[in-house]
Amino acid sequence: MMRVCHLDTCPVGVATQNPVLRARFSGKPEFVVNFFEFIAEEVREIMAELGFRTIEEMVGHSEILNTKTAVEHWKAKGLDISPILAVSQNPYQQTMYNSVAQDHGLGDALDNELMARATKSIETGEKIRFSSPIMNVNRTVGTMLGNAVTRRWAGAGLPDDTISIDFKGSAGQSFGAFVPKGITLRLAGDANDYVGKGLSGGRIVVRPDSATSFAAEDNVIAGNVIGYGATSGEIYLRGMVGERFCVRNSGATAVVEGVGDHGCEYMTGGRVVVLGPTGRNFAAGMSGGVAYVYDPQSVFGAKVNYELVELESLSSADLDELQAILTVHVTETESAVAAKVLGSWATESANFRKVMPRDYKRVLEVMADAKSNGLNEEETLNRVMEVARG
Amino acid sequence: MGETTGFLKWERQSPSHRPVPVRLRDWKEVYEPFDADELNRQAGRCMDCGIPFCNNGCPLGNLIPDWNDLVYRNHWKDAIERLHATNNFPEFTGRLCPAPCESACVVGISSNPVAIKQVEVEIIDRAWDEGWVIPQMPSVKTGKRVAVIGSGPAGLAVAQQLTRAGHEVTVLERADRIGGLLRYGIPEFKMEKRHVDRRVAQMEAEGTEFRTNAIVGQNIDIDVLMATYDSVVLACGATAWRDLPVPGRELTGIYQAMEYLPLANKVQHGDMEVSPINVSGKHVVIIGGGDTGADCLGTSHRQGAASVTQLEIMPQPPEKRGGANPWPQFAMVYKVTSAHEEGGERLYSVNTERFIDDGSGRVRALLIHEVEMKDGKFVKVEGSDRELPADYVFLAMGFVGPDKGSWLDKLGVELDERGNLKRNDTYMSNVPGVFVAGDMGRGQSLIVWAIAEGRACAAGVDAYLMGETTLPAPILPSARPLV
Repeated sequence: MMRVCHLDTCPVGVATQNPVLRARFSGKPEFVVNFFEFIAEEVREIMAELGFRTIEEMVGHSEILNTKTAVEHWKAKGLDISPILAVSQNPYQQTMYNSVAQDHGLGDALDNELMARATKSIETGEKIRFSSPIMNVNRTVGTMLGNAVTRRWAGAGLPDDTISIDFKGSAGQSFGAFVPKGITLRLAGDANDYVGKGLSGGRIVVRPDSATSFAAEDNVIAGNVIGYGATSGEIYLRGMVGERFCVRNSGATAVVEGVGDHGCEYMTGGRVVVLGPTGRNFAAGMSGGVAYVYDPQSVFGAKVNYELVELESLSSADLDELQAILTVHVTETESAVAAKVLGSWATESANFRKVMPRDYKRVLEVMADAKSNGLNEEETLNRVMEVARG
Repeated sequence: MGETTGFLKWERQSPSHRPVPVRLRDWKEVYEPFDADELNRQAGRCMDCGIPFCNNGCPLGNLIPDWNDLVYRNHWKDAIERLHATNNFPEFTGRLCPAPCESACVVGISSNPVAIKQVEVEIIDRAWDEGWVIPQMPSVKTGKRVAVIGSGPAGLAVAQQLTRAGHEVTVLERADRIGGLLRYGIPEFKMEKRHVDRRVAQMEAEGTEFRTNAIVGQNIDIDVLMATYDSVVLACGATAWRDLPVPGRELTGIYQAMEYLPLANKVQHGDMEVSPINVSGKHVVIIGGGDTGADCLGTSHRQGAASVTQLEIMPQPPEKRGGANPWPQFAMVYKVTSAHEEGGERLYSVNTERFIDDGSGRVRALLIHEVEMKDGKFVKVEGSDRELPADYVFLAMGFVGPDKGSWLDKLGVELDERGNLKRNDTYMSNVPGVFVAGDMGRGQSLIVWAIAEGRACAAGVDAYLMGETTLPAPILPSARPLV
């Protein structure tokens, strides 16, 4: 109706954080139930007119669609859409839907083996560490294992590093997707797209195999859209990655040694450290979280999308935080570039730029102020909303 | 729109009304001028809805968010162009429309709707003042001739649309002045008649011909019309009034509203000093709680009535929308019109059993009783009978359909089951070339519906005459308000 969900002005109090507008919400869950009942009833009426008893019976019967108006519409003139509307021939009277059940190949997933090896740890929380080879046909490795941990331990997960797995090889897509707290996946080799997608508290480390001779920071270690929608956890990548690094990250900490275009796009929370070059349009739509970018040649400023963010120098608290993150990165990956930076910290720390969303900064200030003044949660929230609305 | 949080920052405001003693004396419109900055804020309350329901609440499909925004940004000349794009006569609707757009306004779901009607009237008044409303001369002449019978809002809209499309249009009006109900049904204090005159002057300059005192069936022969014109549009309104056939109805002093109101307007036009029906110092009872009743109320007070009582058979409506009357339907709520501010008493849930003779054939009182609704019928509340003294009684109980003159039979047009004239989706009756617009086909309705019908009917006539049309048709004859 309004299509202003992004403006915080929803007049009926649905898509808004404004307490004045939220008070106007008059809906009840029963209304939705009622609405869907009406939809179902109308669907039934139409089906009855057409002579169908079930949705399944209707599948494939394009001959009963009333397509005349659409086909004769002036915008559709000159288009032959009869192949789209063709009634499928069915000489052997097969069912017209779901004739062959889809095989997701889950039985062959590497996770079955990982889960078997970690059975006891999943059950009791006992620490375990083991190795496994990996190949690029092994997709979404760690996700079913993570599911098993979450089923047993729910949202809290397990203490960090309870289940540690050392992989060697080239990981398929979505390595470590949705992995919860308590699982650490270390990969020596490289990875495809979507590493740590939806990461939910787990730790992921990707570094080149120790036998390689190239400079890791000059080479690509993983693909696009890494850390997409991550909510918490850590990602350490010794090497460069592709586009849209940490898009929609809302809470994870990620370290990388170079990114493509659109880094930190739509990010709302968490920390990102980039120890190498970035592509253009960095921080587009970034409304929260902080990125620290190593920029010894002072070229980063021209790569940033400034619509929502500003570049700042780092405070002493920022430097402490960054130093701690880099120390873990070196420990986990033996990163040469991070070791060099830490080795000359007094001078190199001045080469970092802090990417800070403007509104996020104001909200953090208000929250800090509210805390020091001892305001309760609701008062704090109201103050935050006041600031957020500008 | 211009201001995304305008509806949160600013409350709805309306112009204040002139003091009652002053306005009762001069009969002029009741509103004070509205502050320009306040109007700007009022336009800024519009929310720029993804789907603006006001567009649908208005049968004209007025582009309300567009011109609200233009006013907010001070682009007044663009605003009148957008307003005139869908509405031929915003000075009428801006004053007289009950504003179904505002009932459908999305702001109105949880607070007071945008003051759309006020913005509308300010746009058109300013446009007239600035000299932006000029005749729009047709760029082609088709050589086709169209007669429009009736010069109310539907007839005027048909005529303006068809004249601008290049046809030669003659408007026939049975009264002595152009305007129909706008002229003689609407009291001066609701709309000063100079607004009608100004618009008719524009239409004459565009080439529309007006003939008054032209009464089809008396001094005009329908057969001659049919032979002379390529198309005839019937826009004679729903002027057959509902009566109250109870004992005593024949007594002197009991009139229909539409017998009373035109005379008062004639006084304002200077045709006579005093109305033949003058209620000065008299006790007046008005039967009917609608807008026509309110018009009788305001007129009675201006004539100096001793007391005025308005009767309504329905119960008093609620202050706020009832559960069965949700947004975006037209809000059926208790209204205090400007006429009600001026005095008078309103009685609800009452029925008139009979009129009482004073012994000389004049009405002395009404015998009324309370009613309650039982199983969809009004039932008398026993023991609630009482006499209500009255020197004058005005019946404002609505209209039942068009007047059915013998010329209609001669023409051979068919009626629908409600007694209105039947027409197809292009507004053509069963007689080829004869079209029907406004209340004559729809039954009693609003000015805004009449204009919408007139515009759509013009598209039907144009297509009939030319084989195709580019004129807009905002509604089908079957379209009904959302209630």
